[in-house]
Amino acid sequence: MNAPVKPDAFRVEALLPEPPSEAIIRFEAVGKTFAGRDSQEPVMALAGIDLVVPRGAIVGVIGRSGAGKSTLIRLVNGLERATSGRILIEGEDVTHLTEAGWRERRRATGMIFQHFNLLSSRTVFDNVALPLEIAGVPRAKIEAQVSRLLDLVGLADKRERYPAELSGGQKQRVGIARALATEPKVLLCDEATSALDPETTRAILALLKQVNRELGITILLITHEIPVIKEICDRVAVIEGGHIVEEGETFEVMTRPRHPTTASFVEAVTGVEVPEYLAGRIHKQALAGDSAVLRIAFTGENATTPVISRLSAVIGVDVNILAGRIDAIGEKPFGSLLVSVPASEPELAAVFGALKSLGLKAELVGHVS
Amino acid sequence: MSPELIRLIIEATGDTLLMVAIAAGLGTALGLPLGVFLATSKKGELFAAPAVNAVLGALVNATRSTPFIILVVAIIPFTRLIAGTSIGTFAATVPLTVAATPFIARLIEGAIREVDQGLVEAARSMGATPLQIVRKVLVPEALPAIVLGLTLALVSLLGFSAMVGAVGGGGLGDLGIRYGYQRFMPDVMAIVVAVLIVLVQTVQSVGDRLSRRLNKRLRHA
Repeated sequence: MNAPVKPDAFRVEALLPEPPSEAIIRFEAVGKTFAGRDSQEPVMALAGIDLVVPRGAIVGVIGRSGAGKSTLIRLVNGLERATSGRILIEGEDVTHLTEAGWRERRRATGMIFQHFNLLSSRTVFDNVALPLEIAGVPRAKIEAQVSRLLDLVGLADKRERYPAELSGGQKQRVGIARALATEPKVLLCDEATSALDPETTRAILALLKQVNRELGITILLITHEIPVIKEICDRVAVIEGGHIVEEGETFEVMTRPRHPTTASFVEAVTGVEVPEYLAGRIHKQALAGDSAVLRIAFTGENATTPVISRLSAVIGVDVNILAGRIDAIGEKPFGSLLVSVPASEPELAAVFGALKSLGLKAELVGHVS
Repeated sequence: MSPELIRLIIEATGDTLLMVAIAAGLGTALGLPLGVFLATSKKGELFAAPAVNAVLGALVNATRSTPFIILVVAIIPFTRLIAGTSIGTFAATVPLTVAATPFIARLIEGAIREVDQGLVEAARSMGATPLQIVRKVLVPEALPAIVLGLTLALVSLLGFSAMVGAVGGGGLGDLGIRYGYQRFMPDVMAIVVAVLIVLVQTVQSVGDRLSRRLNKRLRHA
């Protein structure tokens, strides 16, 4: 108490406007190694992780099981501790926090789980109240806060029900309300929709987006499902074997994947496979009278170009659509189309020329008689 | 049957209930924290203290593997120290409690270990202290199983309490041995057995019902 206080120093900092892309979570060369069981070799879970989660963003980490994503998300609230590197949360180095220090921090970080992890012995109301009880909030305040949150997640009429009486989607809504109870700045989602059906998944993702936009809560989520990334993430990091192999804006990463892992994830939602009936008939060498099979990729504004009619009208070739899928990533259209066109040399060259002038990427898959 | 005998039976039933109640009460008071500790003190757990866990676990096993009738005799000095005597209903509660405590501790340990670790992780993610996790998560979630365990312990204690009759404790066992066996009164023996059966049935069905009531994992119509 005797140390001279310099109020001005604090005030200046408080008045500075926050830069829009300020990092709320920053990983700097973070590694995590688990001690081996019974004198076995230690197991590397994560290595050289550099990741920035901008304030107010929704960042997704995608990877297959065992890639290290569960460990990564648990480093943010100290459920796991890094063995190398630094983790900064709101500029504060939390790498070497004590357990007591982490407990304090965890109250400013909400977390939801794949299997919801609701207490079966507590009603919906009491489940949402739990983090507030833990934080020592007075009962009257708890009542008001929980009621407000149950309204937000649309479960006000279920407050006296037990988790066993709820559907999966309702349970996750309770999980979200509970995670938001202490008004955290960051919400961690651990495979939050992996146990839900597609329709419920969409509803929960919409709720998460609402929480992000309306309450300004930064979301870090991990998943193995690319639709989750596509649906709500501003940025995505692809993790494989404990390393982040690709990271960037979701649309950029998905439309121009550089790493094979990313490409295979993206393929699942936006790629078109050659249909079964055609696959066996495709060959590399063009024979007389063959048609060429092309895959045309659409990204951004080009996805709305009337490409088929242009090709027919301008070049005068017959375009046959074999398969296609057009989707949207963060409201930007994206997709691909599998078509066949007459395969004579000059015609094919004209088609490629026309596609290029429309700004579309095309690839020759093969020929079919 | 003489009114005198009926009075004896009622008195003996009362003694048995008293012994069992005291032993179960003390056994739970001591066994609950012990069981919680055993369930949370292995390596990497909430109150990690593997060495203490191992010592307490060995102690619990030693007590549990000693046949009750031998335990009663072996701890007579301890019983005298606590009760002032080694004979009678009150003195009998000492070996009963000593036998009940490790038994209840193991039952509670088992019940707590059944709680989904995901709930512990969720509580940790909220910033709960280990003690808060025990009080607000582990014990409430394990409660239906704990009640079933305590029911089992009560039934076992009814059996044990009949055994202390053989070494001068009071209660139904004492009555059965002194009148039914030593004085060749098979009707007294039959009544003693019948009363014990009724007691066990009652305890079991009340315990089952209470546990089912507490179990919110089942959908209630």
